Amino acid sequence: MSDTTIPNTKRAQREAEGPYGKIGKSLNELDDRLGIAKGGRTFMDKIFPDHWSFMLGEIALYSFVILLVTGVFLTLYFVPSSATVIYHGAYKPLDGQRVTEAFDSTVNISFAVRGGLLVRQMHHWACDIFVGAIVVHMARVFFTGAFRKPRELNWTIGLTLLILAIANGFLGYSLPDDLVSGTGIRIAYSIMESIPLVGTYLAFFVFGGNFPGTAVIPRFFILHCLIVPLIILGLVGAHLFLLVRQKHTQFRGEGKTEENVVGSPMYPVFMAKTTGFLFIVGGATALLGAFAQINPIWQFGPYDAARISYAVQPDWYMGFLDGALRVFPAWEFTGFGHTWPLEVFIPAVLLPGIIFNLCFAWPLIERKMTGDNEIHHLLDRPRDRPKRTAAGVAMFALLAMLFIASSTDVIANFFHLSLNTVLWAMRILVILSPFVAYPITYKICKELQGFAGGGKRKTPNLVSRTVEGEYLATPTPRYHEDLDHELRPKLVPTFIEEEPDEPAESGVRTVDR
Amino acid sequence: MTFSLPRRALLLSASLVLSAGPVLLFLTPANASTYGQTTRKNSGTPNSSIVVKKKGLVVKYGDKYITYQAPSSSLNDLGEALYMENCASCHGSQANGVPASGTAGAYPDLVGLGPATIDFWIDSGRMPAKDVRAVEAPRRQPALTPDQALAISAWVNSLSPSYPSIPTPHLKNADVAEGAAIFALNCAACHTIEGDGDALAESTFAPSLRHIPAFQVVEAIRTGPGDMPRFTGNLSDQQVNDVVAFVTTDIQHPNNPGGFGLGGLGPVAEGFVGLLIGVGLLVLICYWIGERS
Repeated sequence: MSDTTIPNTKRAQREAEGPYGKIGKSLNELDDRLGIAKGGRTFMDKIFPDHWSFMLGEIALYSFVILLVTGVFLTLYFVPSSATVIYHGAYKPLDGQRVTEAFDSTVNISFAVRGGLLVRQMHHWACDIFVGAIVVHMARVFFTGAFRKPRELNWTIGLTLLILAIANGFLGYSLPDDLVSGTGIRIAYSIMESIPLVGTYLAFFVFGGNFPGTAVIPRFFILHCLIVPLIILGLVGAHLFLLVRQKHTQFRGEGKTEENVVGSPMYPVFMAKTTGFLFIVGGATALLGAFAQINPIWQFGPYDAARISYAVQPDWYMGFLDGALRVFPAWEFTGFGHTWPLEVFIPAVLLPGIIFNLCFAWPLIERKMTGDNEIHHLLDRPRDRPKRTAAGVAMFALLAMLFIASSTDVIANFFHLSLNTVLWAMRILVILSPFVAYPITYKICKELQGFAGGGKRKTPNLVSRTVEGEYLATPTPRYHEDLDHELRPKLVPTFIEEEPDEPAESGVRTVDR
Repeated sequence: MTFSLPRRALLLSASLVLSAGPVLLFLTPANASTYGQTTRKNSGTPNSSIVVKKKGLVVKYGDKYITYQAPSSSLNDLGEALYMENCASCHGSQANGVPASGTAGAYPDLVGLGPATIDFWIDSGRMPAKDVRAVEAPRRQPALTPDQALAISAWVNSLSPSYPSIPTPHLKNADVAEGAAIFALNCAACHTIEGDGDALAESTFAPSLRHIPAFQVVEAIRTGPGDMPRFTGNLSDQQVNDVVAFVTTDIQHPNNPGGFGLGGLGPVAEGFVGLLIGVGLLVLICYWIGERS
């Protein structure tokens, strides 16, 4: 009887519409036509491991999002042109100086556009964070062995993304055409010229003639805002597609095997977490943009080939190149009718070439060296692969020393040392650092392998005295929170279809590969 | 991976050669150059009120932009007494750089340098030197008062009167933007474009320009203290006045929005902030919201 009554209350109407409501109904209609709900279901059930180190890549992803948003704002006001104008703006010391339109518009973004300086600084800080987060993320992938079969392709894509990020950072840094970035472009031109045989042609091809010319700013603008970001976006898509396709790696632990992934599903747990994280990254960038000055180009003034400022360094991700150029001895030879500028070619072309190719080839190198051709989904602890860990730390030590070498003058001035002494110290440190870092790291890894509670807090020894006067030291048991729980497996909830009555840990799910 | 012993030895020696080889290549014949006391620079430049080059009149000291005034000769007696007390132990009682017990050339000869030189070194606290072996005397709290510095320069100048005299820039007549352009072209290469100064080769350094009175900037430009070149013929008094106006306004009190300046250290400081505060903070937040076991 009650089934046939006309629903006359709102609640009754809602119940009559079924469990999905009006929106659900229209979505069902939509799916009847598109048929993507099944894929969407899989995506929403995608499992993300909960370990904190898996979120490092997201810092990079979200700072890239911020770069895109702030970058779009900046393109509205930036004029990519080398045509010169007389500056008449808010910054008085530049008043009346002949500057390029690129410089003029960037100073105007900083002084005249509402919120322009904030967005400009956010863009620059987001770039510093973007490249930094890629490096940190890459370090996690490297040291835990996440690059092994079947993920070599994603390692390659990630490394390409790093190189593109560095390149695009340099292009963007060059766009304002200020004194400091102009010096950077000049160095880039010289580096191109130093390549044997093709160098001069390549430099002319890129700059549309001799340095500085008028073509380079518009060209860099198109590369920086259109071409490279598009490639980055495409590769990020491929990176994430492979991540979903191959599923996540995970650390060893209770219930975690080569055949499953343990973690939180995309919807609702991870989605909430990651959206929050997007806002945190945005907030951190906005705070830096608001309170920490970066690249005050109005102080540097416009670029002019006759002018140079001392104490000029590139952004941090180019620092290792600058450092290599600084510490390398002046090897320049003349022969066969040509000048051979090895002092530029070796540190600025050969060295980064070797470093990046080594990184690209590392999965292959490791496979050859270990003979390990298996598929791996479970991660290594860095200590369990001492040679790989030591090699990675050696590489980082070398890069860190090269980075520090890019600020020899700042160090000398700050600590009142002789610049030449600092330079010599850096030459020695650059060469020694990998050879020192490798054995130390290797030894530490071996030591950590040696005892299970490595890194855990020590408990006190109880010293007692016997009646005979003998002293005995008795170790006390470990602190409870430091105990290894691996031997007491917890119940791991099954996949989403079977809702457990009481999930041991809310949101934790397992999915078969 | 187990290497047999010869292979391991080969590997070891190869890595040793790789690491030690470049070190050997760095070695160059010992440079016999001596970096000792600061000596007179551009000693060929005439110290007259009118600098004449072959092509004709180049610069005249003193016009409506900067006026130069020789210290009063009535200060000579006081100056001599102060000189004997504070300077003669090194520069000698004749101010010729020959102390009572020592050889010629060990210390700078002060005769004919002009009052501005003497005044600059004393008034910036560089002289009397705290450490006579220092490659470059750093700016310090002056040991003598401005009047005493004037008196000493008056006495030294009385030995052989020369130029430039004590300058007074008239900053109201200056064009700051012009000064900024001249600064970028002539000064930024050592003092940096932000005027913070930096280390140069072999323990010499370009000092910071942040706290320097206007007349001392003129004195430094006109006399070229230490390793700084002396700008005489190539900059007119008007141009020097413009530079001084730029230094004392926009270098020392910059209109510099955008938050904390990070010590004017440029991208090095920015990199550290970006990595430690930016990436570091976000990694900590990852650690906070992620699982930690």
